[in-house]
Amino acid sequence: MRAREVAQLKIDQGLPPFPDLASRDSIKDRVHGIMVGELQAMEGAGRTVCDFPEAPWEFTLDMARQVWDESRHVEIYLRLLEHLDGYAGEFPETTILWRCACAEDAAARVAGVNRGLEGLACDVFNQLVHIARKMGDPILERAVEFVLADEITHVRMGSKWLTRLTEGDPERRRRAIEFQETIDERFNLGGMRRLGDHEAVPVSIATDVRRMAGFTEEEIERLIKSTQRSQVY
Amino acid sequence: MPHPLEGRFSVDHSARLIRNYRYAVERALRALGGWIALTPEISAKLLMGRHVWDLAQHADAFGKRLPELRAPAQVSEPPNPAFAAFMDALEEPEGKEQTVERLVGVYRVLKPHLLATYRDHVARANPVYEPPTRRILERCIEDEARHIAAGETILRHLASTPALDERAAVWQGRLEGLLAAAGGVTGDGLPQASAAPPTATQPPELDDDAREWIRLERTVTVWPIPDDLRATLQSFGDALLARDAAAPRRWLAAGAAWDVGAESSLYAVKPAAHRVVAFARVGHHRLVKLSFEGADGAATLLTRWVPAADGWRVAALEVARVDAARPALPPP
Repeated sequence: MRAREVAQLKIDQGLPPFPDLASRDSIKDRVHGIMVGELQAMEGAGRTVCDFPEAPWEFTLDMARQVWDESRHVEIYLRLLEHLDGYAGEFPETTILWRCACAEDAAARVAGVNRGLEGLACDVFNQLVHIARKMGDPILERAVEFVLADEITHVRMGSKWLTRLTEGDPERRRRAIEFQETIDERFNLGGMRRLGDHEAVPVSIATDVRRMAGFTEEEIERLIKSTQRSQVY
Repeated sequence: MPHPLEGRFSVDHSARLIRNYRYAVERALRALGGWIALTPEISAKLLMGRHVWDLAQHADAFGKRLPELRAPAQVSEPPNPAFAAFMDALEEPEGKEQTVERLVGVYRVLKPHLLATYRDHVARANPVYEPPTRRILERCIEDEARHIAAGETILRHLASTPALDERAAVWQGRLEGLLAAAGGVTGDGLPQASAAPPTATQPPELDDDAREWIRLERTVTVWPIPDDLRATLQSFGDALLARDAAAPRRWLAAGAAWDVGAESSLYAVKPAAHRVVAFARVGHHRLVKLSFEGADGAATLLTRWVPAADGWRVAALEVARVDAARPALPPP
């Protein structure tokens, strides 16, 4: 099913289109979505290892490290689902993250995946850590905090390789950043991602974490502006 | 009594061997990385995901050792075209039903051979002036032994029928033939010492986390379907199997349209049995994938069920997937 159809089904039943973090069940729904996202991130990083043998060796090395990280994340989220009394397959999911990971140019792929999607992961996980802390779930809090640390590393890798792979080729860099921005736009989730308090908005932009990951003030500002003009589902 | 400074390998020869190892390892790690997306089973995905990084570190360590041996850094080189052909063959199985072949190639053929070769190299490398190479190989040996044990655990889990077991054996035989014809990863012939064959008695610490990955793959053994919906699904599936045009339509929700195309696709596989293969929820709605299996393949129906006053009703159905009957064996 398309994400749009699932969202519409939820709206028709008076539910939020994207799981909020207001109940244990909606946290489970969110964790399920993240688990599937991690699976697709592992697949995407694996494809990057495979698809670009001509890229610098250190690029392959970083992407191989990311595959390992994502495989641990899948395992962590499968276990967190168990912790929340859920199971893999409990909620319908889509392959949208995987489709975003299919850019043919390595620079576009790291821009889209490592900066766009992993940036989104920073927002989502940072908020989840906060909510878990508030609800007194140290299992969820600690596990997601470590995943968040990895995601920050992946964003840094993305920034490094976007620069190195496009050195001396401003047109390639422009196209890669444009691709990242289409992903940022798509994953504003119809206005769900916004600047705001963890408990006030569905997905809160993690400005501090983004700074730590190497996003510039200008990039953060641009993302915030883009969320203000995002279309609803 | 050999002299402690007696050596089997020259610097140039040692560099050549390392380029050969790096070639095999680099191709294996790229293949494993690419296969993750082609592999449906979670346990196999996690296995590959874990080992891509270990292999990348092996390739990196080999590559960094090369300049110390008066050779360019991070270069891979096959010993001969026949070994490249062996790696080409190992990478061939890309079908979604070929996880067993993918794992057999890496975990029953390539890795045991690398393990044996590394052990042989360490046994012959001079302990006085070749410790840098020996240390790298010792780390690789430790990892490869662990990988092989984990791969074997997952393979036993996946190759769970005599037909799959036969497929695995046929594929293994083909690859081993190509490997022997190439003279192994160095082109100098297969090493005498073979890797210890993985067995059920393998110490648990060598088994990676493979058993846990299998458990995580199996977290749901029975779909948590409410009893009344389970009964409805059984009757609905039976009615479709009976090809009774009117009967399945009895469960249509008000306003929902029957998909005649879906029905035709379903009948094309000559279904003889049905089962639930996925069960998810969206609010009060339930999404159920029903697989219909028959002589000519399998068709998966995605259905959406809604609770109504007179029981569960199907609000939408479509064919999610049609698979032709599986070939018994991979091509020779």
